[in-house]
Amino acid sequence: MAIYLDCNATTPVDPSVASVVMRFLEKDFGNAASPIHDYGVFALAAVEHARGQVAEVVKARRDEVIFTSGATESNNLAILGLAEEGIRRGRRHLITTAIEHKAVLEPFDEMARLGFEVQIIPVETDGRFDPQLLADALRPDTLLVSTMQVNNETGVLQPLTEVADIVSNHETWWHVDAAQGFGKEFEQLRHPRINLISVSGHKIYGPKGVGALIARKRDRQFPPLRPLMFGGGQEQGLRPGTLPVPLIAGLGEAAKLAVRNNNERTYKCRVFREQALATFSALGAQRNGAEDHTLPHVLNVSLPGINSDLAIKALKNVIAVSSTSACTSHTHTPSHVLAAMGLTPEKVEQSIRLSWCHMTPEVDWHEVETILRALRG
Amino acid sequence: MSDIFRELEEVTVEQYEHQDLPKWLADPVLMVARSPELYQGKEYLVEILAAQVREYDVYAEAGCCKWAYDHEDIKRTLRWLEE
Repeated sequence: MAIYLDCNATTPVDPSVASVVMRFLEKDFGNAASPIHDYGVFALAAVEHARGQVAEVVKARRDEVIFTSGATESNNLAILGLAEEGIRRGRRHLITTAIEHKAVLEPFDEMARLGFEVQIIPVETDGRFDPQLLADALRPDTLLVSTMQVNNETGVLQPLTEVADIVSNHETWWHVDAAQGFGKEFEQLRHPRINLISVSGHKIYGPKGVGALIARKRDRQFPPLRPLMFGGGQEQGLRPGTLPVPLIAGLGEAAKLAVRNNNERTYKCRVFREQALATFSALGAQRNGAEDHTLPHVLNVSLPGINSDLAIKALKNVIAVSSTSACTSHTHTPSHVLAAMGLTPEKVEQSIRLSWCHMTPEVDWHEVETILRALRG
Repeated sequence: MSDIFRELEEVTVEQYEHQDLPKWLADPVLMVARSPELYQGKEYLVEILAAQVREYDVYAEAGCCKWAYDHEDIKRTLRWLEE
């Protein structure tokens, strides 16, 4: 089997997480909404425990964590859930960036359809947006600013600390899509000015199908979200439906491990990165994204003279990589992220994304280099 | 002793000496914390217990929402640990 280098698409599940999930699938299978017997009570205890574990990552309160099916749902809830508030208060201006995931851009399209004005901030060639442009875009009627923490295609950390300063004297709600950075980069997300944080389980060695929206209180009030679905009243009435206790408990365990093992994980990823960089530098690859702001488990490069689709196929028995984000790669549309960074269409066609983790085994980099050189001919 | 048992002991002593955790609740919890050999394989429950002790509040049931843990929660987790 090829070595898996597509951890930004999804990560393997940590064995400890899998063990917790199995416990609640097989043995403690109660419904958390039925705390009238020990099965239900224990399920509820596990959910509340997981809520605390997720909250701890960003130093939020336990009651500020709303479990969802993943970051896509969290993004939708954070954005579309504010529509009624915007309409009611006459605040119809929204700001986001050009490199957001489709799970943010498409809800923004829907908000535009509902009559909101969407302003999209461009990014620099290094893959980061300029906070000053965001400051310039803010208006008294800005309802929401939505900025990602870490880009999924480049691994580039965005300037959220600067954004926090900019929005500190503004009433706008601020949402951060943290699908790729939650549990990996900690300080930014702990800033109390961030109102809404989207979290994904399967990016942090947890199960797929579970995530969270962290909704921080402001002046003791939750952000004025309206639910997108109805029936049941779970999760403070914002996300109805029977809680998937096994998945939630697994997400909690993954969040706990992210805090506990961060230094060790980061170190392993850095060591791996040096090896990958050496190989691709020897091939004359162009790095895409600010090196000093890229998380240590991601490398996005353009390989001169090599089409990325051909490279991925040629490497398929050695390493499993992707050319763009998992959610757009199946559509064969060029990366909107790399295009927004000013890469030529040719460079975009030559780009591949490698993303690994602390569990990734050794790669035969010499073989990778040999295959890619042969492709170049 | 694994970290979670040490953490349970620390948080229990802190809550007993400086907060409202009563002795009748602190004693059995400390018994668990100081007997890790008896609870091998039950670390998940010990973690829950530590979180409940850390967020223990005599008035957890007061108000419309319950966002702290009370003596019933801790007693129940202690019982699960003994099963």
